Amino acid sequence: MANTESKSSLIVPGDATASCWSCGTMRATHFCSACGKVQPPVPVDYFSFFGFPRKLNLDAALLEKEFYALSRRLHPDVFVQSATQERSWSLEQSSLLNDAYRTLKDPIKRTEYLLRLEGVELEEQSKQATEKARATGELKKQVVPPDLLEEVFELNMHLEELRAQKKMGEDDPALLEEIGKAKLSLEEKNGALFSELKSEWKEWDAAVDSGSEDERKTIRDKMLDVVNRRNYIRNLLRDVNEAIES
Amino acid sequence: MSYSDKVLDHYSNPRNVGSMDKSSSDVGTGLVGAPECGDVMKLQIKVNPETNIIEDAKFKTFGCGSAIASSSLATEWVKGKTIDEALEIKNTEIVKELALPPVKIHCSVLAEDAIRAAIGDWKKKQEASKPAVMQAK
Ligand code: FES
Repeated sequence: MANTESKSSLIVPGDATASCWSCGTMRATHFCSACGKVQPPVPVDYFSFFGFPRKLNLDAALLEKEFYALSRRLHPDVFVQSATQERSWSLEQSSLLNDAYRTLKDPIKRTEYLLRLEGVELEEQSKQATEKARATGELKKQVVPPDLLEEVFELNMHLEELRAQKKMGEDDPALLEEIGKAKLSLEEKNGALFSELKSEWKEWDAAVDSGSEDERKTIRDKMLDVVNRRNYIRNLLRDVNEAIES
Repeated sequence: MSYSDKVLDHYSNPRNVGSMDKSSSDVGTGLVGAPECGDVMKLQIKVNPETNIIEDAKFKTFGCGSAIASSSLATEWVKGKTIDEALEIKNTEIVKELALPPVKIHCSVLAEDAIRAAIGDWKKKQEASKPAVMQAK
């Protein structure tokens, strides 16, 4: 299955301005800014965890720098002498750190995470659309565009044929060529979708600064559309490669 | 994950796999996909235009075992029903019949979508052909 990350991994923004448990002054997200003690993790989203705005064009070098700096400070070795409580907080903080880093580093995961933060239930889209169609008696709007479905279906038929042939020890150069062509076209599409997504990131980031809620929603939905199509293509490419190599 | 016996039965022995002529006027075709996993399902129905009864149904699914079982079951269920009755089939009934776990609910949604899409396609064809029939008279 494509989306293994569950909704429950989503951390909602919380109050990061509470006071430090140790010295009582204002604390930061990870360590107290006054006394330097590790803090219990506060419920923040991954962007806030790194002190980033909720934007998609992200400075990868900065993210990496922050990640390594925090990893070092949260490393278990640093806490061998500390109280049990602090040790467990540092562990929690560092697992959060790893999740946040892995999610934000990957452009697609980052986009999907943001979509979730913005209220999209990636795993529920189909069901919601079906319920709506049922209630209104209208035809359901397919989340995936029909022409892409058609292509996916055709290619799957070819792949099935290829697998059957391989089992019989036959091979059909024409079929392989057909599949090879389809693979190229899928890779092209994949690339094109990624560029499309990147240009939407720009729009999104601009809208975070100065857009209305409606504008943000529109861009959000456009990004969702691209992510959905890309999932299809990615799964298909995986199947194509498996079938060719098997 | 372990599949229920009913899923396994439909999966290893799917009913009504195949296809019908997409261009035929009494055939409705539904092609749907689940964005969650990228699976695709095609379900076709053959409807008697006099009685609106679904006389035959075929499917072809590229997807997980639950999706194959759901579509196989869906073809069994729609056969012999009128299109209005078929529209009553809900994914929750498929979930119940096949004892699908929560993560597999979207697979049953796919089957309900496919039924609706096939019926929608058939209806569209009927409407498109009506004026032509009148002209012919
Ligand atoms: S896992 Fe996607 S249809 Fe079953």
